[in-house]
Amino acid sequence: MAATAVTTESAANPFVILSAEPPPLPRAERGLESRSPLMPQIPLQDGEQYRFHFDMSKCVGCKCCEVACSEQNNNPAEISWRRVGEVEGGVFPFTQRLHLSMGCNHCVDPSCMSGCPTGAYAKDAKTGIVLHDADICIGCEYCIWNCPYSVPAFNAERGVVGKCDMCHGRLTAGDSPACVAACPSEALAIEIVDIAEWKSKYRDEANAPGLPSADDTISTTRVTLPADMPLHTEKADYHRVKPEKPHYSLVAMTVLTQLSVGGFAAAWLLSLFGGADGLGTAALLSLALGLASFAASPLHLGRPIYALLAVRNVKTSWLSREILGLSSFGLAASVYAAMLLWGAPGAPAVGGLASLLGLFGLYASARIYLVPGRPAWNSRQTIADFLLTAATLGPLLPAAVGSEYGVLSQAAAPAAVAQILNQLWRFLRLVRSEEYEKQASARLLSGELARLFLLRLGLLMLGAVALPAMGLAAAGFVLTLAGALIGRYLFFVSVVPKNMAMTFFERREAA
Amino acid sequence: MNVKRLLGLDTLKEKYAYGRDPRFGHTAAAKIPDRWVATTCGYCSVGCGMHIGVRGGKAVAVRGNEEHPVNLGKLCPKGLAEHEVIAAGSRAKYPLLKKNGRFERIGWDEAVRKAVDEFRRAQRRYGSRALGVVSTGQLVTEEFYALGKLVQLGFGANNYDGNTTLCMAGAVSGYKRSFGSDGPPGAYDDFEEADVVFLIGANIADNHPILCYRLEQNRRKTVVVADPRVSKTARIADIYLPLKPRSDIALLNGIAHILIRAGLIDRDYIDAHATGFAQLRKHLEKYTPERVARVTGLGEEQIYRVALLYGRARAPFIAWTMGVNHSTQGTETVNVINNLALLTGNVGKAGASPFSITGQCNAMGSRETAFTASMPGYRKFDDPGDREELARLWNISPDELPANRGHAYPDIVEACIKGEIKALWIIATNPLVSFPNVEVLKQGFENLDFLVVQDGFHPTPTTEQADLVLPAAIWGEKEGSYTNSERRVSKVGKAVEPPGEAKSDFDIFLDFAENLGVKEKLYPGWSGPEDAFNEWRKVSAGRLCDYSGVSYELLEKHYAVQWPFTPEQARRANGKRPPTSRLYADGKFQTPDGKAKLFAVEWEPYPEQPSDAFPFVFNTGRTVEHWHTRTKTKEVKILERMSPSAWLEMNPRDARRLGLKPHDRVTVISPRGRVENLELRITEIVAPGQVFMPFHYAEKNSNRLTQSAFDPISREPNYKQAAVRVEKSGAESVA
Repeated sequence: MAATAVTTESAANPFVILSAEPPPLPRAERGLESRSPLMPQIPLQDGEQYRFHFDMSKCVGCKCCEVACSEQNNNPAEISWRRVGEVEGGVFPFTQRLHLSMGCNHCVDPSCMSGCPTGAYAKDAKTGIVLHDADICIGCEYCIWNCPYSVPAFNAERGVVGKCDMCHGRLTAGDSPACVAACPSEALAIEIVDIAEWKSKYRDEANAPGLPSADDTISTTRVTLPADMPLHTEKADYHRVKPEKPHYSLVAMTVLTQLSVGGFAAAWLLSLFGGADGLGTAALLSLALGLASFAASPLHLGRPIYALLAVRNVKTSWLSREILGLSSFGLAASVYAAMLLWGAPGAPAVGGLASLLGLFGLYASARIYLVPGRPAWNSRQTIADFLLTAATLGPLLPAAVGSEYGVLSQAAAPAAVAQILNQLWRFLRLVRSEEYEKQASARLLSGELARLFLLRLGLLMLGAVALPAMGLAAAGFVLTLAGALIGRYLFFVSVVPKNMAMTFFERREAA
Repeated sequence: MNVKRLLGLDTLKEKYAYGRDPRFGHTAAAKIPDRWVATTCGYCSVGCGMHIGVRGGKAVAVRGNEEHPVNLGKLCPKGLAEHEVIAAGSRAKYPLLKKNGRFERIGWDEAVRKAVDEFRRAQRRYGSRALGVVSTGQLVTEEFYALGKLVQLGFGANNYDGNTTLCMAGAVSGYKRSFGSDGPPGAYDDFEEADVVFLIGANIADNHPILCYRLEQNRRKTVVVADPRVSKTARIADIYLPLKPRSDIALLNGIAHILIRAGLIDRDYIDAHATGFAQLRKHLEKYTPERVARVTGLGEEQIYRVALLYGRARAPFIAWTMGVNHSTQGTETVNVINNLALLTGNVGKAGASPFSITGQCNAMGSRETAFTASMPGYRKFDDPGDREELARLWNISPDELPANRGHAYPDIVEACIKGEIKALWIIATNPLVSFPNVEVLKQGFENLDFLVVQDGFHPTPTTEQADLVLPAAIWGEKEGSYTNSERRVSKVGKAVEPPGEAKSDFDIFLDFAENLGVKEKLYPGWSGPEDAFNEWRKVSAGRLCDYSGVSYELLEKHYAVQWPFTPEQARRANGKRPPTSRLYADGKFQTPDGKAKLFAVEWEPYPEQPSDAFPFVFNTGRTVEHWHTRTKTKEVKILERMSPSAWLEMNPRDARRLGLKPHDRVTVISPRGRVENLELRITEIVAPGQVFMPFHYAEKNSNRLTQSAFDPISREPNYKQAAVRVEKSGAESVA
């Protein structure tokens, strides 16, 4: 390019300097497009897929991508399928405030898809794009828990989840996605990745400060870090830890199903070892509670009418398995109840089967929460929590309805003590963890949620140990139930999801 | 919410469906319009070309114009959602007259009659200078041109200025002093063609993101950023200079000192095209790297490095914004920047110029046409030739032109306080948020007999104080043109009708003229903006800012053309897009002797130094999501969600000392006022001893803290470097 322009004066206006240079050539012809293109130039082959490339060294945090995405998909302002976050490191003036821009990472092993109970997710065979079908989605939001990046977003107006599809409709027409097209720093691009090769090297290229580990799902997004990346960075939202959504319907549903299975099993066991009056009532009440909570469970869905679709993915989804397990329990327990009523032989065996199915249902129910995206949940202590809740409430239920209890009500005490130890141990584990999310959960439990946490433990001690020992089993049952409900509420609100670093002001409320 | 939705039978499929727009491809069906209307963005002065999508008479989408030479299809986040501004709930829809403290809706006839009567009454009683007018950089050029004639010739009132004085007055005065005229010499192409890009007090990543796009196209650049805060722009610099606040004159003098000592100046150019070199050289002797390092807080080696880089560059480009202008020495800082360019012969060359990045979408159009700091076409009030020429063009006697410039904006406010101005007309600006040390302005308002506020929005803090509110059409609802930072004239299109009874400022000015009985005299044969534009073309012909070759037809074809542009250039362009233009490439300047002036400027400490009671230096600035006083952007949900509230940035070392934690609510106190409940952001991007706050938020207004200190030459406020202290909100004040 010529460094100086030869100029001539205009005859009409002495101030006008006319450049004798021809008008500038289009950018490509001026050699300005010498860098790697923002879109793949060749078609995909087998074993390859599209991915995002994000160049952190170029991003200036203007959020054009986020607004362009919102416009492209007509999303309401509170929903972002692409988000921009910040991390900061270094000491003034050697400070680096770096920005992250992230849509969906179109993972090799997408946990949104494996967790989805209805099969609303699919990994497109041709492009590798993780697609979500709103027609099949029932709005259970389980994918949001499963995604370690908190990518899927629930649209309350629609009752379904939605997420970045890499502008599939644009890509297939040869146009770049809205975010890529909007980025003024050219920090975003679409690339082709060889999946087998990527599996061996994603750790070096998909991980970045402010992003959760790519190990959980093998994110395909390639991130280029600045050469002068500070050794230590902090998320801009590091100090802004807020309780999550309480999910009241799930609080009620999980506790009640645990009560139901526990109560049923207790009644069944009691009847097995000698029987007693009123056990039938207890069993029926357990069953009724179970069925009621089960019937009410679709209410937490965005689209309750399609709740039955949730059994479609038994192959990979613990949610499907939970539903299957608990509904089988309901069925077997109903048969058991009918057999008891009619005095049919073989009832104890059917009761045993029902109890086993119930136990499996509770186990599956707990497994729903064992997701890498929610570190505070993701341990066997969640399974222990759920089963111990059943073991604490179960024996107290027959006692509460006035059946012959004796030994039984005392059986809640060891379970309660185990539960208290389980909770304390869990808390200690969170406190001592090096993971940000677990630490943050511990901060919540020892900070703004501390009083509730202590209340929950106190109620359990009082309701399941002290009162039954004094012969006040009914009152004990009520307090224990209250403690279990508070405990479950804490379980939901104190989890800190894995997420990308967000900005100082925002931290999208994950489901 | 309906039952079908609750059950999940209805998922609003239609609302969230996709379709194919013939022009922009696959997108949400709701964003596919009936037609696209070409226009220019109404936020900042980058001047991006865009299309507004109109469906059923409503603006539903905005897209960047890929053929526009400024932005090639890109838009910043504000631009990308700009259509939402039009349908904002806070739009002013009807003329409102305050009666007994309450606004009542009135008709337009009554409103215009009332305004004119009140203006005239004040002028009859207190003299013609008792009417003050404060306008903006937001109107279209045609409106500025019409308003200037109306105020200066129609009302005979010269106490007329724009809010542009709060913004670019330093650049204007600096250009006038150095080069003999206003007019930025460079062009955006320089961002791509320079090998060294030196940004001083310019955070383009937050304020002009599309210039980052232009810069990104340049593969061979070295970017130097001088800013006391590690801004987003500092982050993309190759060399970041964390200089102390307001030490830029020392830095620039120091660079000039090294350039002279190292022989990296262009003596031939200086001898041929500049005056004042001998004095400057003498003056610069004391700006040794050692002394400059002390003043700026930079290392000597950094100063050498940047000086040598600039001096050895093939094409060094040096651009600035508010870090330079918002200063009592703003004009002189611009002169010192111009010194560097002149010493090295880097003015108006491809890739090499001093360049002010302007603020508002049409601040430039205002500077050229508005009849405030100069007469239209950069004509001087005191130049008999200019007066003769303008009078002849307007078919009036030179005596009818004002003898001199009236008060500048801060002096208009001062005159309100003194009771010299009794009626004030504020157009498209929100000074109760944007004016420094805002209590002063409130005092001024209290002394007025009548305040008219003409705005696209109501209520704003300013319209609430008005006696009369005139509802104006905004961007997207009217036709005209904007001129951007690089002198590029770009067409503004009308996409939709204004809400309620709001009308374009242009029509309002015509109504005023009609009521005054001067419409035919001021606006002969005008019916629409194009008539004003065509008259302006004639008035500008032969001037530096020559629009004579620019027609609406040409603008509609090429979207945007840089001035100066004559019919001769139009002929040469031969239907193609005209080439990039720069000023002064031939070394001939607008001074009487045709030579530029070098200025020997002394660095001075800023006026309000920190003290024991007010130990922090208070810096202000912008965030990318918001525009000025947020009248528009707070109505755009996604922007408001991203940046909902003001914050205060403080270095961790200071926070530790004060026992403050992240997200604490703090109160900032200056000798003039306080801002409470700011969310504290503890960050290493500000230096110890400094704090930073964004200025957009009326609810937490930084201008309760800023000073009444002004550049004596340009009258631009020194918004930055107030001395403040910071306390935890709710804690007892310990002075």
